[in-house]
Amino acid sequence: MSGRWYGPGVVAVVVLATVGACGTPSERRDGVTAQLTRFERALDAGQRQRLCAALAPSTREELEQSTKRRCAQAIGEQNLPAAGAVRRVDVYGEQARAVLDHDTVFLAHFPTGWKVTAAGCRPRPQRPYQCEIKAG
Amino acid sequence: MTPPPEHGGDTAPPRRRARRFLRHNGLGLFFLTTFLLALAGQAVAGHAEFNNQLVSDGMAPLDFGAYLASSDFAVDVTENWQSEYLQFFLYIFATVWLLQRGSPESKELDRAGTESDQDQLTGRHAKEDSPRWAAAGDWRGLVYSRSLGLVMGSIFLLSWLTQSVAGVAAYNEQQLRRLQAPVSWAEYLSAADFWSRSLQNWQSELLAVASMAVLSIYLRQRGSPESKPVGASDSATGTEG
Repeated sequence: MSGRWYGPGVVAVVVLATVGACGTPSERRDGVTAQLTRFERALDAGQRQRLCAALAPSTREELEQSTKRRCAQAIGEQNLPAAGAVRRVDVYGEQARAVLDHDTVFLAHFPTGWKVTAAGCRPRPQRPYQCEIKAG
Repeated sequence: MTPPPEHGGDTAPPRRRARRFLRHNGLGLFFLTTFLLALAGQAVAGHAEFNNQLVSDGMAPLDFGAYLASSDFAVDVTENWQSEYLQFFLYIFATVWLLQRGSPESKELDRAGTESDQDQLTGRHAKEDSPRWAAAGDWRGLVYSRSLGLVMGSIFLLSWLTQSVAGVAAYNEQQLRRLQAPVSWAEYLSAADFWSRSLQNWQSELLAVASMAVLSIYLRQRGSPESKPVGASDSATGTEG
């Protein structure tokens, strides 16, 4: 099911005779998976600078404001789980969700590539995920 | 858009031919041009609105080309297309059977139904200049006799399908931005977003048709084929000016 609905979205665009320039669904899913892998490796290795570099600007800003500390210091104190293997990736336009064995991570596409907007997320019925780190 | 040329049409000077082409096709050209201008305007305004949402959510704005290729633009366009074609499809089929006393949009009160071959110039009543399939007594005649409604109905269904496909992608993109789980296409078909987009367009189209059918009983537009002649009686049905 990974990225399944981005393709039909492109079909809709073809109907409208517009030109897509955002990469194929599989390329975008690969981009999400690659960034996710970098994030999880940095988490395993305790590489805080790399973890911060993988965060979306608004998520990093929220983390620094809520803890009143620099990102590299604050992120080590967050209760981010060892996520395990990737079970599923959903990509819709500029947003993505990756479901792993022990975590769910949200990402968004920026000019510099995919960035993590929320991590350490747990599902809640009928409500947004509850996340350890997220944008404000 | 252009029916067969009139006699002597090919021998006229090019400038005169062009003027005549514009005069003979003014209605179609006017609406096609204003459609394209309105679509371009919608794209510009929609791009600005979408980027306002993205920036306020802490996301990167999209460039114009990416917005044109987005599901957000696609669903906004197709939700209007489907309702317009539904309106015309229903109007074309409903006016075969349903009448409105005094309305130029209605047939005369004794002509409800698909009418005879003689009235419709079909089968053996087809004339020399009738379309070829109008004379056919087989499936071609059946299809051609309903081709306007069938094409309008097909475009409606395709537009509505496209709305649902683009709609679920746009909806899920927003869901993910709000840290909520995406839904499947089947789930989206029963979602409030899909029906809200569909019904808000349908109600306005149906109101416009009802208004046209009833207001044209009492009101006139001099020179318009959509109106009765100004001096025609309010009770005159099926007469166009």
